[in-house]
Amino acid sequence: MFKKILIANRGEIAVRVIRACREMGILTVAVHSEADRASLHVLLADEAVPIGPAPAVESYLNMERIIRAAHDTGSEAIHPGYGFLAENADFARLCEKEGLVFIGPNSEALELVGDKVRARQTMEKAGIPIIPGMKAIPKAVTEFEAAAQSIGYPVIVKASAGGGGKGMRIVSEEKDLRPALEAGMREAKSAFGDESVYLEKYIEEPRHVEFQVLADNDGATVHLFERECSIQRRHQKIVEETPSPALDAGLRARMGETAKKAMRAAGYNNAGTVEFLLDQDRKFYFLEVNARLQVEHPVTELVTGVDLVRQQILVAAGGKLALKQEDLRQRGHAIECRIYAEDPENNFLPSSGRILFLNEPKGPGVRYDGGIYSGWEVPIYYDPILAKLIVWAEDREMACRRMAAALDDFVILGIHTTIGFLKDIINHPEFRAGRTDTAFIRKHFEGWSTGGKDEDKMRLALAAAAFAEMAAAARPGGVPGRGTKQDALTPWKTLGRWRIGGAGSHGI
Amino acid sequence: MEFEFLIEGAPRKISLEKKENTFVIRDGETILEAEIRPVSENELMFFVGGRSHRVYIVRDGERKLVFTGGRTYAVCELRQAAGRFLGGDEKTPEGGRYVKAPMPGKVIKLNVAEGDEVRKNQTLVIVEAMKMENEIKSGIEGIVKKIHVSAGDLVDSEKPLIELEPKRSAKAMMEILDK
Repeated sequence: MFKKILIANRGEIAVRVIRACREMGILTVAVHSEADRASLHVLLADEAVPIGPAPAVESYLNMERIIRAAHDTGSEAIHPGYGFLAENADFARLCEKEGLVFIGPNSEALELVGDKVRARQTMEKAGIPIIPGMKAIPKAVTEFEAAAQSIGYPVIVKASAGGGGKGMRIVSEEKDLRPALEAGMREAKSAFGDESVYLEKYIEEPRHVEFQVLADNDGATVHLFERECSIQRRHQKIVEETPSPALDAGLRARMGETAKKAMRAAGYNNAGTVEFLLDQDRKFYFLEVNARLQVEHPVTELVTGVDLVRQQILVAAGGKLALKQEDLRQRGHAIECRIYAEDPENNFLPSSGRILFLNEPKGPGVRYDGGIYSGWEVPIYYDPILAKLIVWAEDREMACRRMAAALDDFVILGIHTTIGFLKDIINHPEFRAGRTDTAFIRKHFEGWSTGGKDEDKMRLALAAAAFAEMAAAARPGGVPGRGTKQDALTPWKTLGRWRIGGAGSHGI
Repeated sequence: MEFEFLIEGAPRKISLEKKENTFVIRDGETILEAEIRPVSENELMFFVGGRSHRVYIVRDGERKLVFTGGRTYAVCELRQAAGRFLGGDEKTPEGGRYVKAPMPGKVIKLNVAEGDEVRKNQTLVIVEAMKMENEIKSGIEGIVKKIHVSAGDLVDSEKPLIELEPKRSAKAMMEILDK
């Protein structure tokens, strides 16, 4: 097993990986940009290495600096998290060349599935159903126009290197094609460093159902069932759950076997996800492979009881997959809500600034994966995900109730977040009925704002504000502090984590 | 003590009087007696009529953010709020409008040039923040008077990006609204 792993990421996912390593007795190295000097992942890791200025291209996407940090700290493996370099085949290849284990698929498989167009060709050849679309990346706009004509509008512009909705645009008529291509290419360039885009037929109001797959280096492959990720905004998933209310045992088994077949066709190892679109006639189409740990992996962990990050590390270290398909079961129901630093009442504009107060929900079946703390300044440079709230319960209805209650207890003050918006999604009758598709937000939540006045709560808020004013006036020489200042500077946080007996004595 | 606050965009009066170990809260017709206990610097417990309520509160500049029962309220003392709005910098001295970025970011594209006529809700400029492109739209029908930025500029939410001059009819309406 590895003794030391470098985590080439930031935020909640870096924290998640650090926690798994700690439990496995593996030392961790965080890397950070100048903007993340005091970020949670830096505070939690055993060591931290600065890798450059705030913009991701100069830090989290700078392969050379990350490799050097790995060598300098004596790390044996690199966990890329999601986003940044997670699906960059050049990086995986560089790791291989440098004698570092990339905790993810081999570079060839990564290159194949990362190139959406080649992946489609491979899947088509393997007999896996795909969505009609372009099979090559064209150069000229006229070629896009011709392709869109033959596929038929509406079409969707997608980034070849993409994921997470970056670079995607839906186009319903020809006159909108050129601006959509321009915007898509710009976003793709800035998010992935590759501006290639292609077109696909846009399937209206499908469900987004994906299958988690694990494969070891010898090709043993299992799937860990589906995740339903239909609740999306700007093609960005915001609520995910498992099991999917749309699948029955037969369809689940067929899709699961197809997912395994897709991964075998790609020569894939480690953890990965096969995304499908499920249309209204319950026909499914291969969408793409997400060659990484997914943001929404915790829901799978909660219903299968498998720690996916630990499995990733075990497999990457050359271990044989101990899981057998016939032993895997889905137990109960899990839902995840992504908490973004966005203002849902103002067109979801990113909200940066200082988190003045944080109190995360707790209770039976409630899991919180976060990358933030009170007093921390949310930088403008990166993806606005702050944390994920995940609940598990015996069935879907109870999971919905548990999530609604947990969201009610979730306090983040100082910046705008999507918590109130998520609460209304979970409480929406159509969501409760399991009628979710990718148009859900557009259909039910256009122009959303916080629900009606609540006189009792408002009165309480006013009384609290009045009490604070009185207390401030009564205090000699002072108004109440921002509270969090103290929190931010507490030596317990700035000192980071200590291991008694020095860095080498883990695993006692 | 009487307080006048701005909450959810509307002014509200509330009074709080200490009476031995409790507080009397007067809010219009409603009178409540409450025990208020600070639990920590940012946390208060209210005991009202046999029920307890947990309230979180932080100061954010001149306003306070108060969380209770799953809702967050921004509460500002009215005299401070008034100062803020009177000193408001949305309007140009000529009665036009400054268009600002809602958050710090980078100008990706300008969709208009000086002298252009713009419709309400027309996209003026695209600003990228946190890796997403955000379209900044015109709030009025008017003419682009001046552009203060160019593509590639880093901008904050304070300095104006663009100055708009309202069209004659819109201008007349705005003058009425401003009174």
